[in-house]
Amino acid sequence: MGLNTERLRAATTEGLARARAYFYPGLEDEADDGGFLPDFCNGLTLLNVVVIAEMLAIVVTLVTRRISANMFEDLFLISIFVQWIALSSAAAMCGLRKYLNRLPNLRAFGMAYLLLLCITWVVGEAAVWILWLFGKTASPHPEWYAYFHIQNLSVAAIVVALALRYLMARQQLRRRTQSEARAKAQALRARLRPHFLFNSMNIIASLTRSAPTKAEAAIEDMADLFRMMLGDDENLVPVKNEIALARKYLSLEALRLDNRLNVDWDVGKVPLRAIMPILTLQPLLENAIQHGIEPLPAGGTIGVRLWEENDNICIRVTNPTPDGAPKPKKTGPSTLDDIRQRLVSHYGDSAKLVIIEDSGRFTVTVTLPMRGGNP
Amino acid sequence: MRVLIVDDEKLARDRLRELLMEIGNHVIVGEGRNGNEAVERTIELNPDVILMDIRMPTMDGLEAAMHIMGMENPPSVIFTTAYDQHALDAFELNAVDYLLKPIRKDRLANALSKAHKLTLQQLQQVNEAQDEPMVRSHISVHMRGNIRLVPVKDIIYFMADSKYVTIRTAGEEHLIEDSLVNLEKEFGEKMFLRIHRNALVSTDHIKGIEKTPAGTWQVGLRDFDKKLDVSRRHVSSVRRWARR
Repeated sequence: MGLNTERLRAATTEGLARARAYFYPGLEDEADDGGFLPDFCNGLTLLNVVVIAEMLAIVVTLVTRRISANMFEDLFLISIFVQWIALSSAAAMCGLRKYLNRLPNLRAFGMAYLLLLCITWVVGEAAVWILWLFGKTASPHPEWYAYFHIQNLSVAAIVVALALRYLMARQQLRRRTQSEARAKAQALRARLRPHFLFNSMNIIASLTRSAPTKAEAAIEDMADLFRMMLGDDENLVPVKNEIALARKYLSLEALRLDNRLNVDWDVGKVPLRAIMPILTLQPLLENAIQHGIEPLPAGGTIGVRLWEENDNICIRVTNPTPDGAPKPKKTGPSTLDDIRQRLVSHYGDSAKLVIIEDSGRFTVTVTLPMRGGNP
Repeated sequence: MRVLIVDDEKLARDRLRELLMEIGNHVIVGEGRNGNEAVERTIELNPDVILMDIRMPTMDGLEAAMHIMGMENPPSVIFTTAYDQHALDAFELNAVDYLLKPIRKDRLANALSKAHKLTLQQLQQVNEAQDEPMVRSHISVHMRGNIRLVPVKDIIYFMADSKYVTIRTAGEEHLIEDSLVNLEKEFGEKMFLRIHRNALVSTDHIKGIEKTPAGTWQVGLRDFDKKLDVSRRHVSSVRRWARR
């Protein structure tokens, strides 16, 4: 027995450490300095550059030469020339990447574009000079000199534009996926309320010694609660399921808040088989506890009433309001805004959420059109 | 060491108590359920170290620690918290001791063995790093080496003197070492209104403003039978507030 609780406790703490790591994600991509240019000093990027340059050389050869025995000699020369431009460009990008990536995207695009065209021109010029030095041409300015540069620069203008556009699109896509993932993680975090999770785990760790049965029940409740929260929030469930979930949530909070939390239930007049969006009642209770019970040293009573009225399901949650206590911290949209938004997405204008605050009590009433399961 | 446990959740206090017993060598001198009790018990029991939860009703752990730092020879404070990402970063940065819930025995033992005294500055930096820095719910008044807490909502006005600031409540008057500029910055226009170079008045305690025969303006107060002068420079802002 002693060994078991010891192990259980260790497992709980261990699981928690993992959950915590989930809630504190590190920097996902440390190399991402905000710009769209990849690291050209990287071996893999360099290999890509070489392969693409070689393919370009083959295309150029196929387009400009007739198929013959000399073609491979031409391909060889063209490859050397294209690779020379490509590798010089990669080297320049490698050196200037830090600087370029700090600029706004369009400026970086323009600068990189001009720079790569310059490199093409310089390499072309150097090629002509080398040919002259080796006596292959009569002068450093042979009659095809101008055509050569125009041809090179035209091809470079198109290829470089395509390449940079591709890199930019790739970065935009990566950004979007990242921000989507982040938004999802944030939404989940808001729903799971890490503060509640870790406090409850601490309580369960405490109960494993003094009251193992209670600890067991608490873990089961928690599992059910989190299974619902991790599920799809578009789901519709029977009212009685939502009530059962709310009861589990409240029993966990009751452990934590001890005798500070009293709940007054009244669910006698609600059709238990009617359906409603999942997680409508529980967040209302959570809001009531967070703003009405936690700030009060002596706690108070939360009233929960569900009833049917004119083919509507009505849910009313009331909580005491602490007077003179510091106002609830407002970071981002409140729980109630969130519920309101979800009601709109399920029912359009036909659902209502009304807030009344007077004589020391805060009352939220939600009215949903009745759907399905009429007795 | 003599330890004081402060947490609003009973089972969380029980857990600390049990872990401390297992570690041994420590005496639990008492428990508190919120920041106010933390301050009271500290005065009464004089512990060596306080294990203090951060989120608590009426007065949070950070504010309680700030008040306690004002005492003579204050105890060390180790914060316990479930999840406050911004506070945690600030704790790390300012070398403030903290423990994450669920609390581990070895971490607790380790933290107790090297617990060190905090400074007010460290705490202020932690507070500033929060999403919404905490505004004090009480002002601590020093009395013969100890402190007393005056709830901010009971304060009718702050009046600056050459060196001190006087706090006026319905029944008492205290001197504190602070400046009106700081107080105004902390409590802002929501709770207190500047009516004079030397006076900051609680908006909840203003009964009305009226003109004297001499043509100057005065503020009438609830719970305290005295009228305060509004300086010429502040007339327009006070009247703007009154019209709201």
